[in-house]
Amino acid sequence: MKKVLAMVLAGGRGERLYPLTRDRAKPAVPFGAIYRIIDFTLSNCLHSGVRRIYVLTQYKSTSLHRHIQFGWNILSAPLGEFIEAVPAQQRIDEHWYQGTADAIFQNIHILQEERPDLVLVLSGDHIYKMDYRKMIAFHLEKGADLTVGVIRMDRKLSREFGVIEADGDWKLVGFQEKPDEPKTIHGDPGGIMASMGIYVFNTEILVRRLIEDTRSDSSHDFGKDIIPMMIGRDRVFAFDFRRGDCGGTGYWRDVGTIDAYYEANTDLISVTPQLNLYDAQWPILTYQPPSPPAKTVWIEERRVGTALNSIISNGCIISGGNVKRSILSPRVTIHSFAEIEDSILLEGVDVGRNAKIKRTIIDKEVEIPPGMEIGYHLDEDAKRFTVTASGIVVVPKGIRL
Amino acid sequence: MKKILVVEDEESLRLLYEEELKAEGYDVLTARNGREAIRQLEAGKPDLIILDIVMPVMDGMEALGRIVSQERRIPVILNTSYSGYRQDFMSWAADAYVAKSHDLTELKKKIRELLEKGKGR
Repeated sequence: MKKVLAMVLAGGRGERLYPLTRDRAKPAVPFGAIYRIIDFTLSNCLHSGVRRIYVLTQYKSTSLHRHIQFGWNILSAPLGEFIEAVPAQQRIDEHWYQGTADAIFQNIHILQEERPDLVLVLSGDHIYKMDYRKMIAFHLEKGADLTVGVIRMDRKLSREFGVIEADGDWKLVGFQEKPDEPKTIHGDPGGIMASMGIYVFNTEILVRRLIEDTRSDSSHDFGKDIIPMMIGRDRVFAFDFRRGDCGGTGYWRDVGTIDAYYEANTDLISVTPQLNLYDAQWPILTYQPPSPPAKTVWIEERRVGTALNSIISNGCIISGGNVKRSILSPRVTIHSFAEIEDSILLEGVDVGRNAKIKRTIIDKEVEIPPGMEIGYHLDEDAKRFTVTASGIVVVPKGIRL
Repeated sequence: MKKILVVEDEESLRLLYEEELKAEGYDVLTARNGREAIRQLEAGKPDLIILDIVMPVMDGMEALGRIVSQERRIPVILNTSYSGYRQDFMSWAADAYVAKSHDLTELKKKIRELLEKGKGR
């Protein structure tokens, strides 16, 4: 059995998710009512038997550290298992991580102390369910130095991804970073093989290539620099996500923008979402403070508390208001005659009487005054809130209205 | 004239290196530990660094990490009497290793090689 160490890169700013990332790093952004984005990667590790995990944090990491401390303090240290959040420490260099590869290089002392055979480099930014054991087995079977997780994407999206070119044996022969003219999949001109930003490395090769990269003019990025440097020189293979996808639907999302975030969340309300959160074989773990059960109250002629086609978390009280096609995180209160449609309400939001909310994301601990309307007059909303191109309004955390 | 930075805490050895390398026609700077070496880098760039590992204040491994991140082009020779250093991943960032000795033949040879190689960069 090979000794595997996971390094989860969780330092991303997630600027396009602003204002959800105003007070937290992207991996700490709430998702699916009760989770944080990083819960998916950490749950994957856990279920894959990868239980030695460092989470490398950087910007705005307080919320992420707290979540990991409260929610993920579940492994057994005496068995050699741990999940540890490591802030940027400037041990080597007196600046922030310059790129994904630099983040690992700056923490080379961790590899030194742990001495794993393999290093699983993951991103804390993505939502998917994957059995990393399959990828590790593939890596060993191929005798690879590096294995890159890949997923088929539409050709049109090539500017957002590292595009992999592999031969019939899945060996990498080319890599393009966010190309306009991508190499398409053989026999599938509409598709590209996109890098998922997850890697299995043999530790020694990883260290040698990181050092080489540090000593050259480089952006110190796995995609842009390390993979191209290794192609043709080391044994680099691509691992098809479908072979490790334990959801079976090919679901993988980089919720990089507010619109993508909104869609990925609201997809969960559909009858059979692509992302199944109810699979007992692969549960997603998280931290939830104890809350009482959700409840609805009032059933009178003109005042009925209802929630339809919605996700309602613990601690919610729908008190004579109506909720449709929405996601309510824990401890959300909807007062009488309020109407919530197609919206995402994060923890502790309180919507006053007669308020009307449509196509809006309300971040934590916001109190919506009685009668306020959001999402109905976008010009007005845009004066106070972020409004996306597709018309989603975002109300930032803790704002006083 | 090529400038060499000698980082060595032991004074007698530092003086020996300084004299011998000056005799070879190099300009020699010295530092007593890693921290001094980093400060020297900020003041003026040497063409090559000879770095001891076991030193007070800041040891050679820590200094090496900082040197390769800041001044990635400057070749570094690790100079030590301990062999255990190869266990340290960071030691792989050095361009050469030479065991400590009062006979500097091997060290001088490595210096020439690395400076020669550096011309092509």
